[in-house]
This record gives sequence, structure tokens and C-alpha cells, in this order.
Amino acid sequence: MKTPHLLDRRQWLQRTACGFGALALSDILQAATNPLAARIPGMTPKAKRVIFLFMGGGPSQMDLFDPKPYISARHGQSVDSPLKPEVTQVGTEKYLALGEMAPVRPRGQSGMMISDLMPHLASVADDICLLRGMSADNPQHAGATLQFHTGTFAEVRPSMGAWVSYGLGTENQDLPSFVSIQPGGVREYGSAFLPAIHQGTALSVPLNDKTSPIENLRNASASEDIQLRRIKLIQKMNRRLVRNVNGDPAMEGMIQNLELAFRMQTTTPGIVDISKESEATRQLYGVDGKDTDKNGRACLLARKLSEAGVRFVQVTMGGWDHHGDIRGNLPKLCAQTDQPVAALLKDLKSRGLLEDTLVVWSGEFGRTPWSQDLSGTAPIDKHGREHQPESFCSWLAGGGIKGGMTFGETDDMGYRVVSGRVHIHDLHATMLHQLGVDHTKLTHRHLGRDFRLTDVYGEVVREIIA
Amino acid sequence: MKVRILTAITSIAAVTAQAAEPTAGDDAFFETKVQPVLVKRCYECHSHDKKIKGGLALDSRSGWEQGGDNGPALHPGDLEKSLLIKAVRYADADFAMPPKAKLPAEEIAILEQWVKHGAADPRVAASGAKKRGIDLQEGRKFWAFQPVVNPTVPQVKNTDWPADPLDSFVLARLEQASLRPAADADRFVWLRRVSLDLTGLPPKPEEIHEFVKDNTPDAFAKVADRLLGSRAFGERWARHWQDLTGYADMMGTSNSVFAEHAWRYRDYLIDAFNRDKPFDEFVREQIAGDLMPAKSVEDRAEKITATGFLMVGDVEIVNPDKGKMEADHIDSQISKLGTVFMGMTLGCVRCHDHKFDPIGLEDYYGIAGMFRSSPSTHKIPFGVWSRLNATDLPETPEQLAARHLQEAERAEKIVALKADQARLLAEKNALSAEFARLEKLEKTATAGTSAPGAPAAIANAGGGEAPKESKSGVAGQPPGSDKEAVAKKRDELAERLKKLAAEIQHAEFFRSMVPKAFAMRDGEKAQDMPVYIRGNPYALGPMIPRGAVRVASWTSFPQIPEAQSGRMQLADWLADKRNPLTARVAVNRIWQKLFGEGLVRSVDYFGARGELPSHPELLDHLASRFMQEGWSQKRLIRSLVLSRAYRMGTVNDAVALQKDPDNRLLWRMNRQRLDAEIIRDAMLAVSGELKTDSGGPALVIENFENTGSLVLKGVNPPSYAHKVPRPSQEFERTVYLPVMRGGFAGPDRVRSFFDFVNPAQIAGQRPQTVVPTQALFLLNNDMLRKRAGVLAKALGEKYPDREARMNELWLRVLGRPVSAEERRDAGEFLEQMQSLLNERQAADGVAWIELCHGLLASNQFIYRI
Repeated sequence: MKTPHLLDRRQWLQRTACGFGALALSDILQAATNPLAARIPGMTPKAKRVIFLFMGGGPSQMDLFDPKPYISARHGQSVDSPLKPEVTQVGTEKYLALGEMAPVRPRGQSGMMISDLMPHLASVADDICLLRGMSADNPQHAGATLQFHTGTFAEVRPSMGAWVSYGLGTENQDLPSFVSIQPGGVREYGSAFLPAIHQGTALSVPLNDKTSPIENLRNASASEDIQLRRIKLIQKMNRRLVRNVNGDPAMEGMIQNLELAFRMQTTTPGIVDISKESEATRQLYGVDGKDTDKNGRACLLARKLSEAGVRFVQVTMGGWDHHGDIRGNLPKLCAQTDQPVAALLKDLKSRGLLEDTLVVWSGEFGRTPWSQDLSGTAPIDKHGREHQPESFCSWLAGGGIKGGMTFGETDDMGYRVVSGRVHIHDLHATMLHQLGVDHTKLTHRHLGRDFRLTDVYGEVVREIIA
Repeated sequence: MKVRILTAITSIAAVTAQAAEPTAGDDAFFETKVQPVLVKRCYECHSHDKKIKGGLALDSRSGWEQGGDNGPALHPGDLEKSLLIKAVRYADADFAMPPKAKLPAEEIAILEQWVKHGAADPRVAASGAKKRGIDLQEGRKFWAFQPVVNPTVPQVKNTDWPADPLDSFVLARLEQASLRPAADADRFVWLRRVSLDLTGLPPKPEEIHEFVKDNTPDAFAKVADRLLGSRAFGERWARHWQDLTGYADMMGTSNSVFAEHAWRYRDYLIDAFNRDKPFDEFVREQIAGDLMPAKSVEDRAEKITATGFLMVGDVEIVNPDKGKMEADHIDSQISKLGTVFMGMTLGCVRCHDHKFDPIGLEDYYGIAGMFRSSPSTHKIPFGVWSRLNATDLPETPEQLAARHLQEAERAEKIVALKADQARLLAEKNALSAEFARLEKLEKTATAGTSAPGAPAAIANAGGGEAPKESKSGVAGQPPGSDKEAVAKKRDELAERLKKLAAEIQHAEFFRSMVPKAFAMRDGEKAQDMPVYIRGNPYALGPMIPRGAVRVASWTSFPQIPEAQSGRMQLADWLADKRNPLTARVAVNRIWQKLFGEGLVRSVDYFGARGELPSHPELLDHLASRFMQEGWSQKRLIRSLVLSRAYRMGTVNDAVALQKDPDNRLLWRMNRQRLDAEIIRDAMLAVSGELKTDSGGPALVIENFENTGSLVLKGVNPPSYAHKVPRPSQEFERTVYLPVMRGGFAGPDRVRSFFDFVNPAQIAGQRPQTVVPTQALFLLNNDMLRKRAGVLAKALGEKYPDREARMNELWLRVLGRPVSAEERRDAGEFLEQMQSLLNERQAADGVAWIELCHGLLASNQFIYRI
């Protein structure tokens, strides 16, 4: 019984799967009904794809991008609380000013302020647009994270990657349109009421050849031949049922998916395999580096997937929730992320991809300029910082956004935005705008109402568009 | 108005005449100084040509006079009272305009001058911005708000077809459209369909044999009654209801806080379905069970537990802003109530009157006042987080005695654990001392190498353990090895002590075993509440008397007794036969579960933008019948599954497909993909591994390795991770497994692939998606592999004969006999396998495992036709 492996697997499937005849699967998927077919947006796009680097936990903007002399000058002293009485914080009762831990200096031609903790990012300052007037509405991780990913925190809504996939389809029909690398909760890459085909495919970063990056990707049978025989049997039964009921689109969809699944099983490991990358590239990202290995692999994987045509790639790098000993902990997170993130920008740029790839870097919120001490007894240098959605920093790069620009300003305290306020809704609107999509027009009707990523809010931040 | 226009004209004339520097009080100042600022800075969001955010228009005098959601924007002459001035001064971060950046100081000064001098403004609104009102009379004309009237059963031509009056409604519509109903499905198909629909489990081979042999007229009814009488019925239908509640075994999404009593509500549901609790009673108990009289201790406990309906859900208990948290939670309760019982999107009305339906702020805040009068969370005295309120359940004397016994056992266990702890601690301390001694000894030894004899002397001086020391010396081991052995033992003990401490902490945390349920109760203050402007709990509008949704009301809302929340009256209003929505929405949900699509396809939304019923008379027929027959869900379900309509096959008909591609007229049965739970449960059933169960806690909270932060005064709330499941959980029905908000792990993940409703969502109907990750799951997931292995083994042992084994396999998995074609295919498949498998694999029966896996992964198994 030698037949199957004499033929190329794909050919074999095409011959044996009579539902397909001689058509390649991607041709079938390209048909008008394909929800993932690449679509041309309504406006001329500046960006074709998005890479969203999510810094889960809330990086401290004061330490990294927005130092406050008012605070530094009062390090360890009490400052007046700007909080409203109804807001409770724990361990911040003394409102002790906590100065930035390392020098934050002007970088690049624009003099953008970036901390010494991020030397690699500092070297590409002229490629990024720093937003210092970001604001969000929820002070807790779960809610704020959902708002960043879906625009809201009260209800289950589609994530931004799902909206983008829904609006624009994707360029590579052999890969999912939306991939979430080392994701957090399911709602952060869910499709909610949008068709499920737009939900993100979760991908873990394979640290060795044995880990499967996508669930259920490893053949359950002892050999591929055996599995192919089983698939053939399943497909025969499936087609018989479709015939018996005189056609059923969903059942036919499952028949197609079995073919696609089989191909994903064969092709995906190749695409996510970073061992084929040059040593220079691996070093650039810090692959195999002590602190940088995991995120280096994740960022490199993001570039590969993006390059291969995945419309929206999301990489989650958590650990920024520094309630205590921020001076001890923040440098560690910077060491783990700075080189990989900067490498991604450099790599995209050298490949000519940065022009039409929008890179977004953000946490779900920022941190207070005053200190937090949950023990009540620690010395000031061991304190941390509490969550702060009122103002924080994010940055964008590529995709038609001005490089070397700092936009937005906070008050002396580093609490309120005084100019250049960019709410999460505005960031979403701007992201869609760069993709050529009017955020007020990308809608989906659900329970009688037209829903949007930006709900009823959002203004495109025109000042930062190149 | 006239006067104002006149002044405008005269002042313009004045300006033209003087052409001098305008003063702050006149219109010229407005036109030259103020208006440009408004146009440039405000019109983008506050003008009729662009947007009217927050209801505020600044492009006419009447615009700011009337104001937006927060009332008039200006008080001429009074800077401090003028909201617009407050906003541009940026004094309050949450009330600062324009949102992106503060205005330049000179522009703020212009606005201040203008207002201070009386805010002259000659502009007249082009078209009056009318506030939208709600016309209840007009609203009641909409079909869903019309009273339910029992229609006469229509005449049909084909009088042989109907088996139940409901069939006549279906057939009449088909005949009108010149369509014929599909031929009946065969008995195998019907039996598998009804078994899966009623119990979520496939029929067993003996049940199949019995039914197909049964030629008595009530063969079908016997099956329906058997299924309705099984525990599995409640397990299946309770899960449908859970989809409407946001049920999870976690309190919210943050911090994985366990909701350790949630399972009681799940068990209440299973029990309610199995005992066929009348639906009106079911509604009342879930809204106000705690306020209802009870017949017994058990009844009282049950009614308290029922209010879990309003408690389970994605509650953001760690939000530090408690006013907002409460408002959000009330909103989720109102949304749930509206969606589940009324098919109305009440959540939309938190901020403004409904855009499409005749439901206004008065309706929303009328209900919100009731929930605000019965708070369902409380803040703990430290930290920022809250907890869901739990009520102690009354116990029978027997239950009480049993609990005291268990608590005594637990107390003893704590004593024993603490004794262990003390003993191990002493041992560890001794080892530490020994370690220190050895270390000192070693140092001295190194220091004193020049003085032979010294080490021994010191060793002897160290205490009574010299023999041990010398023993190691005798063995000729390098110095320090003893020290290492001691250190190793000490560290092992430290590790054990750490675990023990966690175990003790766990046992103490769960010391009390008083049965509790997350339940509603009336608070200390029962009162009306004000409108929260734009949903903001710190911007208060007018007070709203408590009440229900007016457009669906037949009379004015009854007086709420002093000191009561009003939930009881709301529950009675919902469960009243005159309520036009409750019965219609309920029967439509049941219809959808059995027929695949609702008569109103938007099962959760009966409003203006929802779908119209395909068979309005049938819907009312069923609703009337439901109420007349004592709101019995079982009776309704029984009638539906014994109808001729339910018996139809699913085969497409070319003509009908042309005329009615969506099968709205129901010319055939709809095909349905099995729900995630059913895929898992059915696999366990066919492999023979499914465990029967009687409910109980889902979380394996008794295992201290699954819990974290059990510190009573911790900053973080106690948490749960489903790391160590109970061994039996692999084989329990899915309804009994924990529902985690952050996603599932291990074999529970089947739910992540096949459209399980996210527990933050209220969804009466699950989508049936077709995505490649499902195919990967079916091809390679370990769960299928395991079930296939057990199934293959069981069949192999019982049926050595290949043909008999195939018969049984098909019967078990697909509920029907194997066809000749399939027998041939399977035979070929097994032969191919023989040539591909090595000897060991062949001996392990891998060929049959592959065949079983193939069947389980096929559409024939994962669809019900």
C-alpha cells in the first residue's frame, strides 16, 4: 500500500477529495463567499497590517517616557492627591512622590524622552511616535485589558484583530487572518458576535521543536499515512451525509476545514520555525539570550507571520504590574522586552515592511507618579506604583504615522492629560484609519443595533499622521 | 423669541455704526470673539451639522439654554454655575473640554468675559432640536406588546398530516405557499434527534432496538416520556438556561476569584427542570425567591438559591470605584432580566431612551431602583475588592447534625495538621542548628589545619553528636558532605512545612461549612433612585419611581410596600398571564432548542429591529397553551417533539429551497451541530465511560493546590486555578465541570472550540461556527483519541466477530445500522490499516481505534439531523 506517499500530499488530497476536483483549496476559499478574502478598504490605506505589542500589567510611563521634575524634586515626600474621593487605592495613602529610577533623556533628532532602561528603543526613537496623553476608563487589569482589546469592558465584544479581519479579510489563505502570540484571556482575541472565522488563533511560542505552537497540530496517528487514510474515511462519510440531505453549507464547510487543517498541520510548523532565520537576525532579536529569548522568539515570529500575510498579529508580553519594588522589577521587564521590540522595528524597516505595517506598543494603563507600599513598612526605594488609567504612554510606529514625534502632555504631577489626549477609542479609530477603514462605517448588526469597535466614540488623531 | 431677534438686529446695526472695539456684553463681541472660539473648538462635537455629543448643541442660544445631559450649559452672569466655563477651565479631569487639550488662556478669558457679561447670543436655532419622547400608545401597537390571544386552529387541506394542533399552523403556511412538508425522518433518525435534544445523550443500542420494534401507537410518546423523566433531561435543559445567566464558577474576570457557591444555582436549575417547576413560579423564584413564603426548610433554601439568577455573571468585584461598580452590576442585572424574560435590550436605556423601542429612562431606572434597593455585593473592610453577597441556607435538623459532624472532623484535622507542623518545625530547627554547628566546625577545621588534633577537640566540644562526625570521617568522605546531607534534609522539611502551612491556611479558611448560596436580599434602604446621567453614578438626574416597563404593562405598577425593594412586584408582573412578552419569549426559546431556529429568529430580541415571527399565530397558540397548561415546560416540550413537524426529515427539496431558502416556513427539520458539551458527553456515552452524577461543587476547592491568596485580610482576593481536577471529572457530564471565565484547560477545552457561550455573555442561541481549529481538534485531540481507544477495546472484547463489531459500533456512535456501502468502506479501511501498522500497533488494535476515531470525528456524529 504505497500510493499516498508517491504523490505530493496536496495533489493526493485533491484527487481523493472528490468534493474539490482539481481546484486548490485556496482557490475555493477565494470565492466571493469567503469571509477571509482580502478586501480593498474604502479609503487609501497607509498600513496593510498591524502588529500590536501588548504590555500586560501597565508599564510605568513616568519611569520610561514621561519624567516629572515636580515629582523627582519631591522624591519620598508627600504630594497632594488629585484623586476623587470615590476612588479607593490601597497602599498609596501617603501619596509619596516617587521619582523616575533611571535617567530619561532626549533621544534621536526629535529629542524624544526615553529612559536609559530602554537603550534599544532609544536607538530607533526617530521611527516612533510617542503618545503621552493616552487615557482609558477602567482601573483594573481585566476591564482595562478588555477595553484596550475590544473597546469596552462591560460586554463581550469583538477584539480589534477580529474587526480588522472582518473588515479587510487577509492576504494569505493558508494562514489565519488574526494571530495572537502568547495571548491572555480568550476575550482578548475573541470574535464575539462577528463570524467566528475572525477570531484570533492562539499561538504559543515554541521554545523547542517539541512544542506545538497551535493546539491539536500534532498528528494523533502513528504516521501521516495512517492519518490520511482516516481523513479519507471521514471525508467519505461526510460527503455521503451531504449527499443524503441534498447539500448543507455548514457540513461542506467542515469538509473543507478538514483539508485546511491537514495543510496547517504540515505548513504551519515551517512558518513558525525560526531556526531557519540567519544568525544575525536571531541575534538581533536576542533569541537564545538570557533575558530576551522568549520575547525575541515572539517578536521574530510576529515579523514572520506579518510578512507571510497575516493581517493582525498581537503579541502579549506581560509582567509590568509593579505594585512593589518597581526599582527592582521594572529593569527586568525592560531587559526582557527592549531588545526584541526594537529589533522588530529594525527588522521590519530593513525589509521595507515598516512603511505599511502599523506597530502599536501599549499597556492597558499606566502607573501612578506617587508610590504604593502594600506592606506599609518598606523604604521608599522598595515601593511600587498603583494603576493609572487617567494618563499613560503608548507608542506607534510605521504604517503612515509620523516618526520622531512626541504627542500629548500631562500636568506637572503626571496625572491629568493637559493636551493631546488620546483615548483608547481614538487610538482604535486612528488604527482603522491607517488601514483605510472609517471607524464609523465598520459596523455589524447585532440584536438590532449596529456595533462598532469604537462604539459611539473615537476621533482619528490627525496630528500624528504623516 | 421675537424680542431676541429684534435685539440681534439692533445690535448688529449698532456694531456697523460704531465699528469700534466691541464690549463683552454685546452681540458684536459674541460674533467677533466668542463665536469663532465656539466654531473652532466646540462645533466638531456640539453642533447640528456635526455631532451633538452628550445632547449638547452650542450652535444656537437655545442649545446652551436647554443644555445637554447635565442641564443648561451656561448661567449668564454666573461663572461658577456655568458648566461650560467649568469644563474649559479644566479643573475637573472628568469634566474637561475640549477633550484633547485645554484651550489657550486668552480663549478661556473670552468665554469667561462673555458669560460674566450676560452671554449675549443672537443665534437662533435653525430647526429646534426636539427631545425625543416616548409615545406609549403608539408603541403598544407593535406586535410583541399586543396581548397574547389564542388564535383558532387553521383549516388545512392535508388533514392526515397534523399530529398536534400546532402542526396545522405549520401546514397551513406551507399550503399557502404551495409547499409540502418533508417526509418523516426514519425511526433511527428521530430517536437520535429526540434523545440528543432532550437529554444531550445519544440513544443506547438497546433503546434503539426497543423503539424500532415497538409498533404500538404510543411508541413515540413512550420514548418522549422516558427521556423527559430521566435526570439527563434536567442536565441538558439547565445548561440552556445557564447560557442566559452568565453562569461561571468564578465571580468576575479579574483575579480568578472563586464563586464557591455558584453550583447550588446550577443544581437548582437541574432540579427545577426535572421536577417541571411551572415556568411562572420559576420566574418568580429567580427574581424574588427570597421574598416568597416557603412551605418547608428545603423549599426556603431552594427559593433563596433561585435568586442566583441575578447574582451569577461577570461581576467586576475588584473595581475600586464602588459607585461605578454598583451601577455596572445593576446594569448587567437589568440587561439580563430584559433579554431573558422580555426579549428587550434594556441595557441600551442606561444612558438614553431606547433608539428603536418605546422604552425610556423611566423604565430603566424604575427597575434599577429595585436592584439598588437590594444590593448584591459588599465591600470587604480592607483592600479594594468586594464579594458577592451569600446567604446562609436554612438546614433541616439532619443536615445540621451532619454538618456539625463534618466541621468537628475538620477541626480535628486542623489540630492534627498543627501538631505535625510543630513537630516538623522542631525537627527543622534542630537540623538548622546542626547545620550551623557543622559549618562552624568546618571553618575552624580549615583555619586550624596547622594545628593537628584541634578539629576533633572542637567536634567533641560541640555536643553529643561526635560519633556521627567521626563516622563520616571513617567513611573517608570529603569534609562537608555531612553538612550537605543535613542541609538537604532541612530543605526538604522546609518544603514540607511550606505545603503544610498552605494546607492549614486552607483548612482554616474553609473551617465553616455552613451551606450558602449567592442570593439576593433586600437592603436596609428601599427607595427610588435618580437617573444616572449617561450612566454616570456621579451625575444625578431626576428621581424615578420604581416600576416595570410601561409599554408592556396592562395597568399601573402596584404600590411597593414600605421597606421592600419591589422585586416581588416585578416578579409578579413578569409572571403574569397578561404580560405580553414572558410566555412568547419562553415558548420561542423552547421551540428554537428543538427546531434549530426560533419562530422569532432573534430569540433574545423581540424589539423593532428584531425579526418578525415567521408564524405569529403559532407563537400565540403555543404561548396560550403554555399558560393554560400551568406553564409546564415538560408538557410543552412533549407536545413539540411528538408533533409531525418535529418528525420531518432534513432532506432538501429543490423547489422548496428555491422558494424559501432559509426554511422559514419549516418545510423540513433544521440540521444542528451538536453543542460543545454534547460532543464531549456523547463521546463519553458511546465509549461507555460516562459517570452518572448528582451534582455538587464544580470547583475542586477542597484541594489546597487549586486555591491561592487565602489570606483573610489580603490585598488580593482569594483565587482558584483548576490545576488538580477530581479524577472523576474526566468522566462527568460537562454541565458539572467548572466554568472558568479566563478559558479552559486540558480536556475541558472542547468548549473553547465548539461555540460554548462565553460566561460574560447572555445568549439564548449559540452560533454554530465552522472554523479550521475545530477540524484540527477532531483530527488530533487527545480526548477523541482516548474515547476511541476505550470504545475500540470494549467492542473488541465483546464482539470478536468483525461484522458484529461493526454493527454495534455504528449503532452506538451513529444510532443506526451500518449500511452495505459503509461496511465495505470500513472493511477496506481495516485492511489498509493492517498494511500500514507495525506488529505492535496491530496487536494493540490500532486499526479499530483509527476506525472509531474516524466515526467520532465525522459530521455524521457531530451533527444531529
